[in-house]
Amino acid sequence: MADRLLQANGITKVYGSLAPTVALNDVTVSLDHGEFVSLVGQSGSGKSTLLNMLGLLDTPTSGEVRLDDLKTNDLGKRARAGLRNRRLGFVFQFHYLLPEFSVLENVLMPTLISGDNKADALSYGHEVLELLGLSGLENKSATELSGGQKQRVAIGRALMNKPALVLADEPTGNLDTTNTDQVFRLFRQINKDLGTAFLIVTHDRRIAQQTDRILEIQDGKLIQDVLSPV
Amino acid sequence: MLSLRIAVRFLLKSPIQTVLIVAGIAVGIAVQIFVGSLIASLQSFLIDQTLGSSPHLTLTAKAKGEFIDYNQALRIKLKKNAVVKAVVPQRTVSAIFVKGSQSAPLSIKCADATKLDSIYKLKSKLKGGDYSLGDNEIIVGSDFASGQNVRPGDMIKLTLASRAVKELRVSSIVDLGNKQANETVAFAGTGFGRAALGASVNRYSAVEIQLSQVFQSTAIAKNLAGAFPDITITDWQIEQKSLLSGLQAQSSSTFMIQFFVLIAVALGIASTLSISAIQKTRQIGILKALGMTDGRSGTIFLWQGLFLGFLGSLGGLLLGLGLIAIFSVTAGAKPGSFPITPQTTFVIVSVGIGLAVAMLSAILPSRRTARLDPIEVIQSGG
Repeated sequence: MADRLLQANGITKVYGSLAPTVALNDVTVSLDHGEFVSLVGQSGSGKSTLLNMLGLLDTPTSGEVRLDDLKTNDLGKRARAGLRNRRLGFVFQFHYLLPEFSVLENVLMPTLISGDNKADALSYGHEVLELLGLSGLENKSATELSGGQKQRVAIGRALMNKPALVLADEPTGNLDTTNTDQVFRLFRQINKDLGTAFLIVTHDRRIAQQTDRILEIQDGKLIQDVLSPV
Repeated sequence: MLSLRIAVRFLLKSPIQTVLIVAGIAVGIAVQIFVGSLIASLQSFLIDQTLGSSPHLTLTAKAKGEFIDYNQALRIKLKKNAVVKAVVPQRTVSAIFVKGSQSAPLSIKCADATKLDSIYKLKSKLKGGDYSLGDNEIIVGSDFASGQNVRPGDMIKLTLASRAVKELRVSSIVDLGNKQANETVAFAGTGFGRAALGASVNRYSAVEIQLSQVFQSTAIAKNLAGAFPDITITDWQIEQKSLLSGLQAQSSSTFMIQFFVLIAVALGIASTLSISAIQKTRQIGILKALGMTDGRSGTIFLWQGLFLGFLGSLGGLLLGLGLIAIFSVTAGAKPGSFPITPQTTFVIVSVGIGLAVAMLSAILPSRRTARLDPIEVIQSGG
């Protein structure tokens, strides 16, 4: 229990009231510090819904989500925003970089939001960019980068506040094979070097099999939670 | 100040949109300043032209033909009132000018020369001669002078109501700007009036008063009537109702123009900021996913409103003052026209309104932003 980072107990998510749709049905899942886990399932199976619940972006209709053993269901929007900022990192299928800001500013954004020490943040921001192979691009506009570079900047942004867990929703969905492999290797490296836990949503079995543990969801239910054969 | 930084970046990212909205506010504020100053200056010009050389309040005795007692109490009361600009106690002498077979009636206002000038501005209206009102001197109107062939320095004979005949020297001729007044009104000194009417020291035909703020005449008249029940007060606002209603109509039409210009500016800002908020939905959603709070994200558009309002008001101020300067050297410099003076209070209020309207217009997009759920953006995809 000491290593338990995230715990979801019996979470159910129902959308709509007149014609209710059950997106998640009594899902119980946990993640420990430093784990490298994938979440697979077909399109519409509830992968992203589960990720949004675990990432405190959405609240379950029933059940509870605990982060660092803190029950998050009853927290206000402000407290949840604070937890997202400091404890979690997000990488989405679409990079969602801010075109109004430079590469470095995009990476620094979580720290700018939390208002932490600027000098330390700046130094760490450069380190992150170097780790991601983006040195020299700091002052470029996010719009000037290639698809692979943009996704690496988004990864950098997710790592900026040294989160305990990075939630990645189809992070390689828009990338070619070369960039997909590069991003996945980066995740692995960060997981090993920094001890950051990863939960990667993917429909690519090849990628899932390279993680340490595979969760599978079908029709809103968790049907498999196994250690990877690799 | 991350929200300020984001607001500025959002504005800089769409420079044409930003310039257009700033220009929209600037034009609105410039119109406010220009139209407001134009109407205020026009009104002040009209008031000066129509009321600047005439009494605004005239005090007479209750009984017709009687003299008013210009006693110490009345003098002190008028002196203490800061709005009272000039007081002229005067005696009006009716006389007939006779020259051969010709005759012409004259109404002669007799008072101290300096005091008469303070209301009637006679020195600036001289058409000939020197401004002087000795005991046996008279100033006549230009139409009387031309009609009766009278020149400065001439002696004229007047038959008074008492049938006494007095001979006076014409010291100067004035143009009062009105044909009837130029034919029938004349001015003489205090001594002549007192001797002609046989009135004692404090007894006058009327006490004429000019005010620095003409629209306060009714309030002052009411106050005087309460303190001195035995005098009759003639108020220009009651005597010249058509002029007053004209000025009031002008003020209310100006107010309407300004009101609709403000509405147009407010709608312009609100719609542009709303469009901007919709355009930036994705960015706001991601910032919220990264941990930005609702309140902080809402302030982004308030900052934008403040920024646009400040730049627009500043531009409007410069444009408005520029328009006034252009008007002053072109149309305003033509004969018969009037100068526009920027109204300081009005300029400050217009700039303040520009800022306030921009801020208020930002409230709607700001609230929309604060309410935005990041999940909406993430689920909708790229």
